[in-house]
Amino acid sequence: MMRGAELGLVACTTCELVMKAGNAAVGTCPRCGEPLRPRKRNANARAWAFLIAAAALYIPANALPIMETEQFPTYRTDTIMSGVAFLWTEGSWSLAAVVFTASVLVPMLKLGALGLLLVTSRKGSTWRQRGRTQLYRVLEAVGHWSMLDVFVVALLSAVVQLGRFARVEPGLAVIPFAGVVVLTMLASASFDPRTIWDPHD
Amino acid sequence: MELTICTYCDTVHRRPPVSRGSAARCRTCEASLYHADSDLGAMLAVTITAAIAFVVANAFPLITLTASGRQTAATLWSSIAASYNHELPVVAITLAVTLIVAPLVELLMLLWVLVPLAAGVRPPAFALVMRAMHALRPWRMVPVFLLGLAVAVVKLTGLAATVPGWGMFGVAVMTIAFASLASFDREVLWRRAEELRR
Ligand SMILES: [Zn+2]
Ligand SMILES: [Zn+2]
Repeated sequence: MMRGAELGLVACTTCELVMKAGNAAVGTCPRCGEPLRPRKRNANARAWAFLIAAAALYIPANALPIMETEQFPTYRTDTIMSGVAFLWTEGSWSLAAVVFTASVLVPMLKLGALGLLLVTSRKGSTWRQRGRTQLYRVLEAVGHWSMLDVFVVALLSAVVQLGRFARVEPGLAVIPFAGVVVLTMLASASFDPRTIWDPHD
Repeated sequence: MELTICTYCDTVHRRPPVSRGSAARCRTCEASLYHADSDLGAMLAVTITAAIAFVVANAFPLITLTASGRQTAATLWSSIAASYNHELPVVAITLAVTLIVAPLVELLMLLWVLVPLAAGVRPPAFALVMRAMHALRPWRMVPVFLLGLAVAVVKLTGLAATVPGWGMFGVAVMTIAFASLASFDREVLWRRAEELRR
């Protein structure tokens, strides 16, 4: 299988037009006007920066309360993990599993997997290149699903306003939590999966 | 000879047409490369369906709750307002961008492109609009919101009588329509526009 880099061909990352790599020096795609580069610019440095910022925000996202529930006469305030644990002990196992997957598993998987991709691509490793490319595609596909809890909390706090009877208030954790989702999306968008296949120079 | 390059691994492929409903995959990394040539009329029909669903999702309640004689309803807009009133403008902006602005702008841009192309006219600012659509796509989170609605309904059933509203139906139809739009190949739009330039 020949690669674009070997044949002197480059594809526009936006409109996928294939052209001679010489055009890349010109600067922009002749069809859509997008800046042309053989590889994304400063890909790994940018991805690292977004990843570290996301990892830092991950701490308050889990430590702060995400939701306060007042259901007369009880009152409870939950973090993401305690919310999942509460659903589990209540017997809502499938719901606990959905929330756990979207809010805990996916963000952790994203942070870990992106770190792995960044470390191995910098070393020009030939280890499981296809598997790593597929891992990147999984990251791209699941990226925004961790916004689930932010949506759920916003919906519940909008609808459960039944005065003294029941009330749901969003907690401060929704801000860092949404931040983690956005930053990990930016991190995976900055990474260039083609570098997985590039020989080490 | 027509060529395509996999954006995930940089492998160069020839570009033979594929049959309707299937996608060509990269031989090196198995990424989906391209789909069958899109039928502009079908694409336009799906876009209009999505636009109607968008209006329904915005105009009607998503969830209605009845407890001890009181009734409350959440709409897309009241959820945004609730986040804003709880002094969480960041959340309000996140909801507005991912659920209203991104889908609405994408649908308007699709109509902007598809209607003239179907009529045989090159759309004004075609390349710019196509690029903007490409940049906007990751920030649309309609399917995640649909799952969020389902989770919220299940969580609420123990608390009070919960009824999913027409707005939720609109979100569901929008989810299906956007998934269908993703399977239309955009290369046809570029080629049609190139032909019309001459
Ligand atoms: Zn281009
Ligand atoms: Zn590939």
